[in-house]
Parts: sequence; C-alpha cells; structure tokens
Amino acid sequence: MLEEYTVTILGLGNILLTDEGVGVHTVNEFQKRYVVPDYVEIVDGGAAGLDLIPFIEGREKVLMVDAVNFDKDPGFIGLLENEDIPVRITEKASMHHLGLLDVLSIVKLSGNYPKELCLIGIQPKSLELGLDMTPEICDKKEALIERVATKLREWNIPCALRSPQK
Amino acid sequence: MRSVENALQLEIPLNAQYIRNLIMAAHGTHDHIVHFYHLAALDWVDIVSALKADPKKASQLAESLSDWDQNSYKHLKDVQDKLKTFVSSGQLGIYANGYWGHPAMKLPPEVNLIAAAHYLQALHYQRRINMVVSILGSKTPNIQNLAVGGVANPINPDNQSALNMERLYYIKTLIDEVQGFVRKAMLVDVAAVAAFYADWTGHGKGVTNYLSAPDMPMDTKGTTFALPGGYIENADLSTFKPIKSFNDDFFKNGVKESIKHSWYKGDWNKHPWDESTDPNHTEMQYDGKYSWVKAPTFNGKPAQVGPLANVLCMYAAGHAGTKKYVTEMLNTISAVAKTKVGPSALHSTIGRIGARAVRCAVMLDECTNQWNALVANIGKGDVKTFNAPKFPSGEIKGFGFHEAPRGILSHWSVIDGGKMKNYQCVVPSTWNAAPRNGSDQPGPYEASLVGTPLADPNKPLEVLRTVHSFDPCLACAIHMVDSKGKGIVTVKAL
Repeated sequence: MLEEYTVTILGLGNILLTDEGVGVHTVNEFQKRYVVPDYVEIVDGGAAGLDLIPFIEGREKVLMVDAVNFDKDPGFIGLLENEDIPVRITEKASMHHLGLLDVLSIVKLSGNYPKELCLIGIQPKSLELGLDMTPEICDKKEALIERVATKLREWNIPCALRSPQK
Repeated sequence: MRSVENALQLEIPLNAQYIRNLIMAAHGTHDHIVHFYHLAALDWVDIVSALKADPKKASQLAESLSDWDQNSYKHLKDVQDKLKTFVSSGQLGIYANGYWGHPAMKLPPEVNLIAAAHYLQALHYQRRINMVVSILGSKTPNIQNLAVGGVANPINPDNQSALNMERLYYIKTLIDEVQGFVRKAMLVDVAAVAAFYADWTGHGKGVTNYLSAPDMPMDTKGTTFALPGGYIENADLSTFKPIKSFNDDFFKNGVKESIKHSWYKGDWNKHPWDESTDPNHTEMQYDGKYSWVKAPTFNGKPAQVGPLANVLCMYAAGHAGTKKYVTEMLNTISAVAKTKVGPSALHSTIGRIGARAVRCAVMLDECTNQWNALVANIGKGDVKTFNAPKFPSGEIKGFGFHEAPRGILSHWSVIDGGKMKNYQCVVPSTWNAAPRNGSDQPGPYEASLVGTPLADPNKPLEVLRTVHSFDPCLACAIHMVDSKGKGIVTVKAL
C-alpha cells in the first residue's frame, strides 16, 4: 500500500503532445527494464496536478523526469536538485508547470517536503499534438534512462536490469 | 454517454444511475473544495498578512463563527509557524505570483490566518472525497467505469474483487469524514470572505439569464431527478421554468451556437446536431472573429451557467437543502458584515463563490442520499448494472446533459448505422466564456467585467477575481495563460 513507499520515481508530462510526454515515456521504459526495491514507487504522473501530492508528500526521495525549458538546444539534458528546482524553473518551463510548481510549493508549505528531490529535465523540440516524440528526443531516451539509474545508485538504491524475457 | 443512450432510448439500471450519481456528487464536492481554497482563495486572502495575525484572536474569532474542531489556538499557531518557515525560505514558488499587499486585499490578518489553516486542511479533505471517485471509477479525473447502458462495476456482496459491502462502507466513511469540513469550515470561510468584501456583491453580475440541468436521475428512464434544474430569465426567480426529463423539448430545441465571432469557417447560428467544427484562425479581429470559443444561446439569448445558475434554479424549484444552505450562508454574511444581506446579492462575483460553497454542501448531502439509495436497492437483491445497447441500421439522434461542477454540459450525437456521424459538445466554459453571439450580445465573462473597478490598472486583481469566480476550465489551456493575461487588459481598455 501507499504508506510503505519511501521513494517515488515520477514521470511527468502529456503524452498527447509529442516531446511533452518524454518524462512518462522514460519512466515507463525504465520500469520495463529495471527491478527496483519494494519501497520504490514508479508513477506515470501525467499532468495530474494536485493529485500528485500523495506521491511526493512525506517521501524521503523523489526523482522526477520532465520536459524542461533550459533555453538550450533540443535534447539537452539537465539535472536540478533540491533548492534549485523552484528557483530555476521559470514560468515557461513546461506546459503543465503550474501543476508541478503548485504541488511542490504546497507540499513545502504543509511541511512534508521530501528530503531529496531531483528533476531530470530535457529540452523538448516539439510540443505539438502527436503521440510520437521527435527523433531528436527519442535518441536521448537511453541517456535519460541511464540518468535515472545513476541517480538511484547515487542515493544507494539498488536497481538491476531484469532478466531477458520472451 | 447520455447522448448515445438518449439516441437509443436506452434505460439504465437503477444501480448504474446511483453509482454514476455518487461519482458525480463526490466529484462535485471535491472540485468545489479545490476551486475555492486552491484556485480562487488567493485572490481574496493575503497569506503573507497571516504572519502578522494574533493566533489567539484568530482562534477566538473562528470559534465564535463555528464549532469546527481544527480552529484552536494550537492549530492556528502551528500553521503560522509553518508559514513563517516557508516565507523566510524565500522560495514562494507559485505563491510568488500572488497579489499580496495589493490595495484591494481587505481581510484582517486573523481572517487570513484562519483561511490559510483551512487551505492546508482542504488538501486533506479534497483528497478523501476524491477517493470515492477513484474507488467507483477506477481512476480520477478520467473515470473508466462508464459504458453506454450502465457502468462496468460488478456488484457482488460476497466477492472480494467486486463492489461489495466492505467497499461501500469504506465509501460511506469517506463521505462522513468530509462533512464537518464543508459545513463548519468551508461554508463559514466563504461567508466571512463575502462579508469582508461585501462591496463585491455589487460587481461582476454579467449575464443574468441562468441555465442549469436537473441531475441525479432516480429512475431508469431519467424522468425524476433528486436535484432540479431549468432556466431563469433576467435574474427573476419567478420566471423559473424546469427542465423535466432526458427527453425535454424545452432544452432540446432551445440550444444553438453562433460562430460569427469565432475562429471557424462561415457565419452561422445552428442547432448542435447541425453544426460543424472547421477551424479558421484569423488575426485578432475585435469586431470580427476573436475567439476559439463558439457562442451558445438558449432561445436566442446568452446564459450564465455554473453553481450560481444551479443554486438559483434549485432555490426557485424549492429544493430543501439548497434553501437551507443559502439561508445559513446569508445569515452568516449578515452577522459578520453587521448588515442584512439578502438573496439579490447572489447576482455578483462574490455570489458565484458563495453559490459554489452552497452547491458543495448540497453535493456532499447528495453523496449520502445516493449511497443510501444504492445500498437499499442492493438490499432488495438487485445487482444489475448494465443493459447492453443495440444500434439500429438507420440514422438516430440523441442529446444528453449533466450538471457538471462548472455548469450545464450537453453532448449531441448523430449516429448512422452504429457509427458516429456528428458529435458536438456544448460545455460549461463555452457558455460562460462565449464571445459575442450572432446578435452581438456579449457572453457572461465579457458582460461581467464591464464596470469592474481597478485599484491598480497594472495589476488587475479585480478582473482575475471575477474571471476566477466562474471557475474557468483552465487545465486544457494552460499554455494560453500569458496571452490570456494580455487579453484581460485589452478588455478593460474597451
């Protein structure tokens, strides 16, 4: 049940808007490939707004993956941690930034902020309507998945590749 | 769903009606709590000012208005300490965009502190009532249990994986848990805000033709409803005309949409069954096409929809719960404002916010009523939840309506040989955000902003208050926030 999880891996974004869904695609793929301990919850957060609170509030560590505007070339991957997150994300960060910032600010105000918060962001190329990501961002999927695994290991959370399946 | 069922003249099993009703009532309660506390309150409540409050005085004030058990000195002091830590961290996040210190902010620090405390408590209660939606609908907000002909919830009191008594009683616990907060905190907070901003009962009236759907059908055909709805013209409650069934001609024939000022090809005024949606984006033409929103009319006139329209219609129809909560709220406002405030104050920006709180309490009561009806019906041995639809070969037409949290929602289908030939949705925010219609009459947003006073034209907080009071459907249009901000200033200049 919900209470037992202490770590969340949260994929954010709208998969109907091409690269906007990169966070969701990344964590789904990560979940397919990796085995994580029982206390780690992997969540397709979509653009769920306030409904994300239970997955952030009171957790020890939260790792988020999302499309972020870094004012860099498409495909640029950046990592924001803890205090850098609300400061660095400006208003135009992402289509659903209001939801994410809302949630983070509210969780902070209510006093149950995670001890560790990390956002793996990637500069999107397109936010147009469409189910497929652009080739430029698709090419970065491996790198993003690797970043998620690396961060978890940094946090001393074991994650191993699943045995090959038929 | 209802529009297709209407086209097929399909009856819905009683259990399915009650389960749908329970979901609608719980969703409405959740939505109204979130709207007031988390979306609209910051237009009226100055959180930073709460730091200056005396928690003792705040607690005394709160306890004089209500016996809510989370208004103690200790509760309020604790919230103030959290606020201090938060503000001193210098990372206000979304709150940094708040209009704090704005000259139009008028609540005393103590009231701001009470509101801040309830803002945090509301996070808990909105989640609890939303769990009712997710238990019955599998997911929220996009529920997965609806099917043409009923719901996909198997009822079996002896089966762990079906809807059984354990699940039903868990739902009952959740409903009961939220009662205290809505009645003793939310209704009182909204009344207090209304009292301190009593001048706002004179602003934001806009269009006073009100349209609202009856909902919570209590039979298989949709001819009796727990909550009435209908049409009121020109703010005159005596003109109330009810919408009586899912086949109601008054509603069916009354709805049209114009695209004279909307970015679609052509210039027509059509019934939804005959409409098309062919985009034709032009530049901003203030006298021509200037909006993606079509302009719906009811019998040729613009209409305001939403909780205010709903509450006024239920009030006019004599719905007991609505009358009780409206009276209770007006009494609290009168007591705090120390002047008699009557029902005419409802035709305003603050009236829309007050009506939403009233509707929240009505919805929560309806959760209990629908739960009782469902359990009693299962008790009779009826576990049916689905009637399979059969589509005929020719063309059929249907319409369905629902009183959603933002107002009347109607869907219109034309089905040919089992395939959808035309499908139009006339949604609540379309009624309210409509551009001028075929006769150049403005929609509710536009009309309500005329004459709004601005303390500081560069920070049009007052405009936001009125637009937010309609609870605009923003989630689908977040990327438009910037351009909307500019648009608001332009409206002011007209």
